[in-house]
Amino acid sequence: MPQLLDTDELIRRLDDPDPERRREAALELAGTPEAVPELLARVGLETEPRVRDAVLTTLAGHDSEAVAAGLAVHLASDEAGLRTAVAEALATMPGSVPSLLPNLLAAPDHDVRVMTAMVLADLPHPEAKSWLVRMITDDPHPNVVTAAIDALLPAASAEHIGVLEAAVLRFPDDPFLTFTVRAALPRLSGTA
Amino acid sequence: MTRVLVVDDAATVRLYHTSLLQEAGFEVAEAANGLEAVEAAMTTPFDLFVVDVNMPKMNGYACVETLRSETVGTAAPVLMISTEDRPGDADRAYQAGANLYLVKPVAAERLVRVATMLTAGKDPEA
Repeated sequence: MPQLLDTDELIRRLDDPDPERRREAALELAGTPEAVPELLARVGLETEPRVRDAVLTTLAGHDSEAVAAGLAVHLASDEAGLRTAVAEALATMPGSVPSLLPNLLAAPDHDVRVMTAMVLADLPHPEAKSWLVRMITDDPHPNVVTAAIDALLPAASAEHIGVLEAAVLRFPDDPFLTFTVRAALPRLSGTA
Repeated sequence: MTRVLVVDDAATVRLYHTSLLQEAGFEVAEAANGLEAVEAAMTTPFDLFVVDVNMPKMNGYACVETLRSETVGTAAPVLMISTEDRPGDADRAYQAGANLYLVKPVAAERLVRVATMLTAGKDPEA
């Protein structure tokens, strides 16, 4: 029978040369609030995707504002694997992500706002659609608006037709945005 | 017929790229992430891959690296298209094995022209 390790030993194992031991330690630290700072520190340092995924899974389980804020900084990462993994983790944190949205929706880096749309696409929160509508209505960058449209469409209905048509009028020279909305309108209006 | 695999987690982007390429005469299949793309490439030969960067399960860079690895070993051209236009993004794409990196939005005519030239073995930026 495996011996249970204390929190300090598990935290030490986050630096173990063996990725499998690091992964196991990250998972065993689930539900251990005192390990959160150590786990957050590993998010940007861990190079093994399976270990990073374990760290993110454990962190997402806390669904606290401190964890969400600590993860959200990585949405601006230059590493595609990290920013997408973080977006996936944040999408499982409906209790704490809403508190970050004012800052994320106002992020000066439009790529961060694109990633925010990815988070909202999968966030199980009753206001997720409203935030996406706000992005479609207000965001000045066409790539952010198209990302928000893509995130909204699976759950969109006839009530969103006006929002989508207004987006086309805001960006008349963006062929992709126009195509996306025109392709979706028949279904939303019940004429497909 | 020239076969293209469009790889993007956004259904609307896949639909857009697929429509444009089909209208231009390409045969197009779709994958929603890098993992699906690699699985498709291991069973079906493609003449061109059009790959997004930010995708769940396997991002675009990892996807292209795997396509170029011994596991898959495809030499077919890869066009990466992303919203990312930070310094170094294009270098990262070329290091992974992409033939060309374009930043969204890509005009319809340019996408078709680039796809045509890449599959004909020509440099689309020449």
